Amino acid sequence: MKRTITLLFVDDDREFLLGKRLFFEARGFTVLTAESSEEGLALLETQVPDLIFVDLMIEHYDSGFALSHRIRQDERLRQVPVVMLSGVASATGRRFDDKEALLQRWSGLDAFLDKPVSGKQLLQLVQEKLGLALEDDESATAHQG
Amino acid sequence: MTPYRILVIDDEPGIRSGVRQILELEGYAVAEAESGRTAFSLLEQTPFDVALIDYRLPDIDGLTLLQAIRKRRPGTMTCMITAYANLETAIAATRQGIDFFLPKPFAPDDLISVIETLLRHKKVREEAERLRRAHEESLAALATEQSQTRSLVACLHDAVLVVNRQGTVVLANRAMAALLGHEEPELLQRPLADVLLGPELAPVRALLDEGVAERAGFELYLGDRAYLVSLTPFRAPDGTVLGRILTLADMTALRRLSIEKARFVRTMVHEFRSPLGAVKGLLEVAQDKSLGDRLDPYLPMLARAEQRLDGLVELIGDLLSLSRIEAEQRDPVAPPPLDVAPLVEEVADLCRERATGRGITVDVEIASPLPPVRVAADDLRTVLVNLVANAVKYNREGGAVKVRLSPTAEWLRTDVTDTGLGILPENLPHLFDEFFREKRKETRDIEGNGLGLSIVKRLVERAGGRLEVSSVVGQGSTFSLLLPR
Repeated sequence: MKRTITLLFVDDDREFLLGKRLFFEARGFTVLTAESSEEGLALLETQVPDLIFVDLMIEHYDSGFALSHRIRQDERLRQVPVVMLSGVASATGRRFDDKEALLQRWSGLDAFLDKPVSGKQLLQLVQEKLGLALEDDESATAHQG
Repeated sequence: MTPYRILVIDDEPGIRSGVRQILELEGYAVAEAESGRTAFSLLEQTPFDVALIDYRLPDIDGLTLLQAIRKRRPGTMTCMITAYANLETAIAATRQGIDFFLPKPFAPDDLISVIETLLRHKKVREEAERLRRAHEESLAALATEQSQTRSLVACLHDAVLVVNRQGTVVLANRAMAALLGHEEPELLQRPLADVLLGPELAPVRALLDEGVAERAGFELYLGDRAYLVSLTPFRAPDGTVLGRILTLADMTALRRLSIEKARFVRTMVHEFRSPLGAVKGLLEVAQDKSLGDRLDPYLPMLARAEQRLDGLVELIGDLLSLSRIEAEQRDPVAPPPLDVAPLVEEVADLCRERATGRGITVDVEIASPLPPVRVAADDLRTVLVNLVANAVKYNREGGAVKVRLSPTAEWLRTDVTDTGLGILPENLPHLFDEFFREKRKETRDIEGNGLGLSIVKRLVERAGGRLEVSSVVGQGSTFSLLLPR
């Protein structure tokens, strides 16, 4: 039997978390959610997800970077891909982008996605990062029967 | 051309007329003096190009006369004519600055050649003098120019730094020194790399390292200030680069608006995208039929999507209010006097609906009689709704809201007190900033877009009023509205 894939979403937007939870759970994923960096770190004490989604503006406008940096410092989590989601990156000028590129290195991010982002986009990314076979349609249709 | 003027000073009439005849034939103008006194008075009247001086005069000796001529008419060439020439006299005369000796008797050709020589010398001397004076003048001009340039550069608002070809600082003004955190003299004669420190100046160092040949510039943000950085090479007339001029022009005032606008837009984009992203995500779940074919399981989720859209509608309304307040000129005619009490009761009733659901009481306490205030009723209603609704929103279950109105000498004071979460002291200064919200565990469940108080502040200020906030974390806050009587 295939092991279930566990995803962690750290985001202060509850409806965003709800939508992603329902979308991924319907596809057989285990979904963990945290509404703050603190909550996320507490969860990571006991859990090692397969992939972590972090929102850029959790508490402050760039606290997602700090969280990602801290995740990277943890030996157990070193191999876990961290994907940053941000609703502001593309709305800002060059300076901010430069800074983010620098911060991206510092925080050891694996990918950076602009919000809004659909469940399907995220699913594709999960499959890429974790090397999963494209089984989206099968898992999605499983509930329709 | 005016003829050269020659003065013959000799007590022997024969010599004087002889000299005159010879020189006039050569085209010179000749004047005669038989004594020292006559010579003085002639020299007083006009300058002479050459003075021929007999060493022995009846009234004065030749050396004294020579001295006087050199002093009064330094441009006059002098030649001693004497039959008694000896070494001593020659030395004495040379010391006095005599230009030539012509022993008596002399042949006409000797005299003519002496005069010609003296005139040539005179010309050379005059030319030398002219050059010396010109040189001195240009030196003086240069010194003035340099000091002018220095004082000009010193008082420039722009930060200026000049480096020579070796990259050593040769000039820095006050603004640059202040920017780099040094005293001006400390910067001089130091390598540029030593004075441009810190990560924020890295782009400037990079620009200098690139050795850009022509003028180059870019914008740089240092702290919350904006600068236009430009680097201009200065060249010798033959084109070789002698050094470079670095200027940092402070553009903060010019950029302030765009800096603030960019920040506002960034926040606004976030505020719009978050609910849209959340709602899109929830709709995707429905389209995807993630919860199966029946509609029921989706209803709670769709209700939350609707709530987020309501928030978005409210946000748009608040943004419109803000921009309307910005756009509206303050009415030069004060609004008619307004009786505040009924309006406060009306607002309290409105907020009570939501409050009672959470067991919160809303009480109004009015000290009568109240003076009327000159404020637009709609504006005051908006302010009070925001303050009282906040007092309910940030209150604990079963808490209390008290609205107390009291007149002071200058103001009508309205205190809105709650028994809620309180505000962290470090957040108090930002409370009225656009989009500011306290991000705390306790506030996570409270809806809001952070615009309400910024609208309140603008309306109150427009009415000439003031706002005061006092708060104790965990106990509650009091927002005091002071309106001028």
